[in-house]
Parts: sequence; C-alpha cells; structure tokens
Amino acid sequence: MIDDIVHFFEPYIYLIVGGVKAIIIAVALTAVVPGLVWLERRLMGRFQVRLGPNRVGPFGLGQPISDSIKLLFKESIIQSSADKFLFHLAPAIVVFTAILSFAVIPITQPFEIFGQTIGPWIANIDSGILFIFAISGMGIYGKVIAGLSSNSKYSLMGGLRSSAQMISYELTLGIAALSIIVMTGSLNLVDMVKSQEAVPFILVQPLAFLLFFIAGVAETNRAPFDLPEAEQELVAGFHTEYTGMKFAMFFMGEYINMVTMSSLVTLLFLGGWNTYILPQNALTGFLAFAFKVLFLLCFFIWLRSTFPRIRYDRLMTFGWKFLLPIAIFNLLLTSALKVL
Amino acid sequence: MFDFSWVDFNLFEVTYDVVVFVVGITAVLAALGVILCSSPIYCALYLIGHMMCLALLFLLYHAEFIAAVQIIVYAGAVMILFLFIIALLGGKKEKQEFSFHKFMALGFVGILSAELMLSARVGKTQPVEGMFTPAKITEVGSAKAVGIELFSRHLVPFELASILLLVAAVGVICLAKFPLKPLRRRAR
Repeated sequence: MIDDIVHFFEPYIYLIVGGVKAIIIAVALTAVVPGLVWLERRLMGRFQVRLGPNRVGPFGLGQPISDSIKLLFKESIIQSSADKFLFHLAPAIVVFTAILSFAVIPITQPFEIFGQTIGPWIANIDSGILFIFAISGMGIYGKVIAGLSSNSKYSLMGGLRSSAQMISYELTLGIAALSIIVMTGSLNLVDMVKSQEAVPFILVQPLAFLLFFIAGVAETNRAPFDLPEAEQELVAGFHTEYTGMKFAMFFMGEYINMVTMSSLVTLLFLGGWNTYILPQNALTGFLAFAFKVLFLLCFFIWLRSTFPRIRYDRLMTFGWKFLLPIAIFNLLLTSALKVL
Repeated sequence: MFDFSWVDFNLFEVTYDVVVFVVGITAVLAALGVILCSSPIYCALYLIGHMMCLALLFLLYHAEFIAAVQIIVYAGAVMILFLFIIALLGGKKEKQEFSFHKFMALGFVGILSAELMLSARVGKTQPVEGMFTPAKITEVGSAKAVGIELFSRHLVPFELASILLLVAAVGVICLAKFPLKPLRRRAR
C-alpha cells in the first residue's frame, strides 16, 4: 500500500519538496527575528557604552522570549474611530510580503540529498530580482493602510512619508541593481551569483554597491532614514495606534525586510555563497552566505547608532537630486563599457 | 491492496484550472468593487486587488516577467500614488444619489455588452504569430523575449509612447511650478 501511495505521489515530488522548503524558510525567518532584536539591543548597548539587556538568562538571551510572551498576552486595543477591517489587514500585509519576498533568495549552492538535487531556494524564477522588488513594493501598502485606517494624524503622516520615501528610493535601488543586471545579462539571482565566482561585484561596481546599500537602508525604513516612525515628531508614525501582537508584527516585518535586503546585497555585490578562500561546497557556501548577511545586519545596526535622523526635505533632496543622478550616470557608464 | 488506478485525472492540471478560474473570478469581483464601492480608499484597494489578480494570471500563464512588471508599475508605483492622493485629500464617502450620470453609465454598460456580444459572434480570437515559439521563450527567458520584440518590431510605437509620457510630465511640472500670475501672499 505504501508503494501505491509513493507511486501516486511520485510525479508531484517537487511540490512536496517545495512545500517543505517553504515551511522551513518561513519558520526560520520568523525565528530569526527575536535573535535579531536581541542582537540589536546588545550591540546598541555596546555602541552607547552601556550593557543592554543582560538580566534574563545568559547574556540576556531570554529577553526576546519574555518580550514576545508579553506582546502575545497584551490586550489588543482598537480605537472606535478606526476602520476595523483595514486596521487588522495592515500588519498581515507587512509580514506576508516580508516573508514572501524571501522566496526567491538562494541561500547556498544546489546540493544532492537522497539522489535528488535540491536547490536551496523556494523558487528559482527567471526574473527573481524583479519579484523581490515587486513584493517588497507591495509591503509598503501595509504601512500606508495602517496610517489611513488608524484615523490619527500621526499615523497618517507616517503612512504618507512611508509611501513618499518608498517611491523616491525605489528608483535608486532599481537603477543601481540595473547596472549589475547589465553586467550579468540576467535577472536570475542564481546566475548573478554564478557570474561572481572569480571576483565579487563590490570590487567591480563600488559605486553601485554604495548606492544600493544606501537606498536599501532607506527602503527598510531603518535609521537614519526612519522618517515614517520618527519617535520625536510622530510618536511612532504609522503604528502609533497599534498594541500587542499587531504592533509586534510591524517589527517582524521590518526585521525580515532587513534580512532580505542584506541577503540581496550579499547576492548582488558580495558574491553570495562563494567563499573565495575556503573549499566550496553547500555547507561552507551556506556559512559564507550567513556570515555575509550577519555582517551586513550588524552594519545596519551600526548605522542606526551612529547617524542622527535626517530632515524630511533633506531626505527627498538627497534621494532625487543626488543619489538618482549618480545612479543613472553609473548605469550609463556600465552599459557603455559593456558595449565597448 | 488499494488500487489507485481509478484516479485517472491529472491532479496538477485540475488544480491549475481551478486556480485560474478562481483568480479570474476574483479579478472580476474586484473590478466590480472598484466601481460599486462608495469609499475612495476601498475603491483604490479593490483596484490594487484587481491588478494583483491580473499579475497572478500572467504568472499562471508562465509570463513571469510581465507579472513582475505589472506588480511593480501598476500595483506598486501607480496605485501608491493614488493612495497618497486619497490620504492627502481625505477620502470621504460619496453620497449616493440619482442623477443624469447614472443614465450615461447605463448607456455605456449597454454599449459594452453589445460589443461583447458582437465579439462573441465573431468567434475565437486569433493568436498573433511572431518569431517566438513557447520552446524558444523557455530557452531565452520571457524578459529577453519581451525586450527583443519591444525594441525591434515595436520600437517606434514604444518611443512615441515614451514621448507622450514625457510631454505629460513636462506639462504637469509647468502647471504646478510656474503659474502665469504670481499668487498674492496673504499679509501677515
């Protein structure tokens, strides 16, 4: 009987493998968030010459667990003037799009297990990088809808700023990535990593890397570009009215977006799973990828504790009049060199 | 033992058809929501939903590139501006009242349904034959196929459309930035 069942499911084995991979990656991503919160608080403490959380468990490792229990059991308050449906929808959109955009990211090279070649990605689609841009562009709706549905001035301003910032910096992000696409001639992320086997693109395209990273920080709404949730002027921006787990979901979305953006920078510029010095196999590939992503995440946190938030008009001027022209110039230069 | 040979349909194909049908129906419902909803915010959200459904349909027909572009351009960039404007101006519910506009809308609906019947009378739509076959598209990738077709055969219409958009952008900037008469400032 088991043979019959196996025989029946054999043509659909790739569906089962895909489902298992999807579950593993989604669970791993959500599990990474508390660790990242802990890392950020510890590192911020070090940067500001204080200890950070160190009371719960060794090195304060129990702190994220106690925080998440607290957030889960908090009362969920919805003010009566809010649009209930949209109010509930907004955090769901943020988390959903954040996890979904990780689907096309290859975390190491393909490996064989039980005679099956398994690609360490959920989907290796032809235009993977466009998929990430598209889905992370959808994520902004969560913030805008949160701002609109809360029926509060601070939330509305946060949502508006969020959308304006997104539109401005998505251009730079896309054009900086375009120069890499021009160099590899492919939209596929696996192809991009494969073309960096000799040398990572950060050495070939340092300007594009800088632009992409700055725009990436702005896209993930991290300090110094955290205008949508500027505490000193907007209370907490678009999530002012949220409490409990729904409030935590916005943070989950933000941290997962950080991971995705770091992975994207790693894949495009730092050579993905190429170790360059160690022997190359799936395990060392994954370790190299994880190390690079972790380094970039620490860099994000470092940026947050180093720079003050920039003013709103400066943000727009910086994006449109400084970053965008440089990005276009870089793209033209790259294409000209490619054609020559 | 159990015999599974009675399962003679292809599970994958049936699921595929069902998914296409559901997505299509959702797209139609969302499109109806756009015109029937009274609150502008919900209208915009229905429109986003409709565009997402279209992108999903493209994805189901193996046009990944078009799907991604559909989401980035329409569902992402254009609709976020719509929501931006609605948020800035404050979306108020429209009053439902009977007016001349409704008669005009009814007229349009009548014309459209007549056209639909006409097109049903004509018969099946014919695919446009080009240099690309499905086999070739899987070889070069859908992004390349679209690019080659767009920048070789349809270059002139493409450039004309981009000039049209440029003219519109310049016009908007002129209207917004340089008023013919300088606005009088209120005395402080």
